[in-house]
Amino acid sequence: MHHSIELYDIHVKLGDAWVLSGVSVEAKPDEFVALVGANGTGKTTLLKVANGMLRPSKGMVKMLGRELWHAANGNNGVRKEVGFVPQRSASRHFPMRVDEAVLMGRYGKIGLLRKPSRDDRDIAQEALEVVGMQRLAAKLIHELSGGEQQKVALARALAQEPSILLLDEPTTYLDADSQSDIMETIYRLHRQRGLTTLLVTHDSYWVEQYSNKVYLLKDGKSQLIRQNT
Amino acid sequence: MTWFGSLSFPFMQHALMGVLFAGIAFPLIGVFIISLNLIPLRFAMMHVALLGGALGLFLRVDPMVAGLLLCALSALALGPVSEKTKIGLGTISGYFMTLTLALSFILFYKGKINVIQAFSILWGNIFALTAWDLVAVGGVSLFVLCIIFLFFKEIQAILYDREIALAVGIPEKALYYLIVFMLGLTIAVSMRMIGALLVDAFVLLPAMAAGMIARSLKQSFILSSLFGLVSGVSGLYVSFRFDMPASSTIILAASLIVAVCMIFGRGFSHA
Repeated sequence: MHHSIELYDIHVKLGDAWVLSGVSVEAKPDEFVALVGANGTGKTTLLKVANGMLRPSKGMVKMLGRELWHAANGNNGVRKEVGFVPQRSASRHFPMRVDEAVLMGRYGKIGLLRKPSRDDRDIAQEALEVVGMQRLAAKLIHELSGGEQQKVALARALAQEPSILLLDEPTTYLDADSQSDIMETIYRLHRQRGLTTLLVTHDSYWVEQYSNKVYLLKDGKSQLIRQNT
Repeated sequence: MTWFGSLSFPFMQHALMGVLFAGIAFPLIGVFIISLNLIPLRFAMMHVALLGGALGLFLRVDPMVAGLLLCALSALALGPVSEKTKIGLGTISGYFMTLTLALSFILFYKGKINVIQAFSILWGNIFALTAWDLVAVGGVSLFVLCIIFLFFKEIQAILYDREIALAVGIPEKALYYLIVFMLGLTIAVSMRMIGALLVDAFVLLPAMAAGMIARSLKQSFILSSLFGLVSGVSGLYVSFRFDMPASSTIILAASLIVAVCMIFGRGFSHA
């Protein structure tokens, strides 16, 4: 599969304001791309466009070699196949076990009116093991620390068996140890599984450490500021 | 007359069947309201149901049918209108709430509807349920139970986090609108049974109590149904035994269950 991210000339208007006005970002298969910029520059919006959660006002979105929103394409089922880790996990109290939260990653693929199969449960279990959280499978999600909750979010994204991973500031609100832990896990998975990764972050250390390419978002535009050869 | 002897009367049979249907299914809507923070929407729906009732009295048609239709239409419209106008569901609910209340008072005034009739909408009357009312309560209850059974995993994801549900490929928007629609129907039929002002006895209080002790969404649903059933039947019994308004005794029973869960539970699970 052609697991690349291709976003060209993306424009997004939210309310009366243009959040993005001509953003182009590309991540080739197996690349680790970082997206940096000040708060409110539309980084999260761009990730939602890439995941097919938000339709741009203008521009072309091509994920996994398929063009989204073109003619009758809609979002082309991309959400089921792209792992997305949002900025914050649901920190409010909700009675859900860790293993249930990870299995949720399979729900889109399972489809409506069907129950998770043995295979689905095995895949979710393996995702939990990969992030080292299997011992907490029976815990309630809100009983976990912030770092552990982020690992569960990562496991849920992995349970989708994605070839592309979109990460929205996955280390925000975490202490230094948890930040290292989660970023090292992400990078290990990127290497082991050949995941094309688009990371939104404010932390220049991880940008320097891991990324092949860095885009800066400013004033609604994108600028390629670094590319490793 | 004994409690069991009273059950030979059709009005008591209807009342008991009403609380059985509503007690089981309506608290499930309360779980949605608490988890998705739909309190303003529920409040708006209560006022829409009131307008429907007022319209029914004004046009001389069944107030519950009018309330049911108006709630169903409003519930269908609210989600998409909020989406299109980019106005939050809470804000648009406030708009609906005041508008419907103003229109209700105009209808009460112009239709020369007397105070007792108007108050019957606010308070409901569980002992005046007709066979058709029971069909409506039973039908809505069955509909709610079927939707939860069929789409449990998707509903679980949406109640956990709507953004994550959308991200993993669930048709989140359509199911969210379906939840809002069920809420509208439930409020409308609850109004007939227990009155617009006391809808929470069946809808919210049992779900609140369940949320304090449940360790999974499945447990939340089962416990809220159980609490709804217990408060409905025991409230009805106390109302009969001590000659008190059923709406109030059902509320008191549900409130007592909430208080017990508050003491022995671990606090809100959904808050």
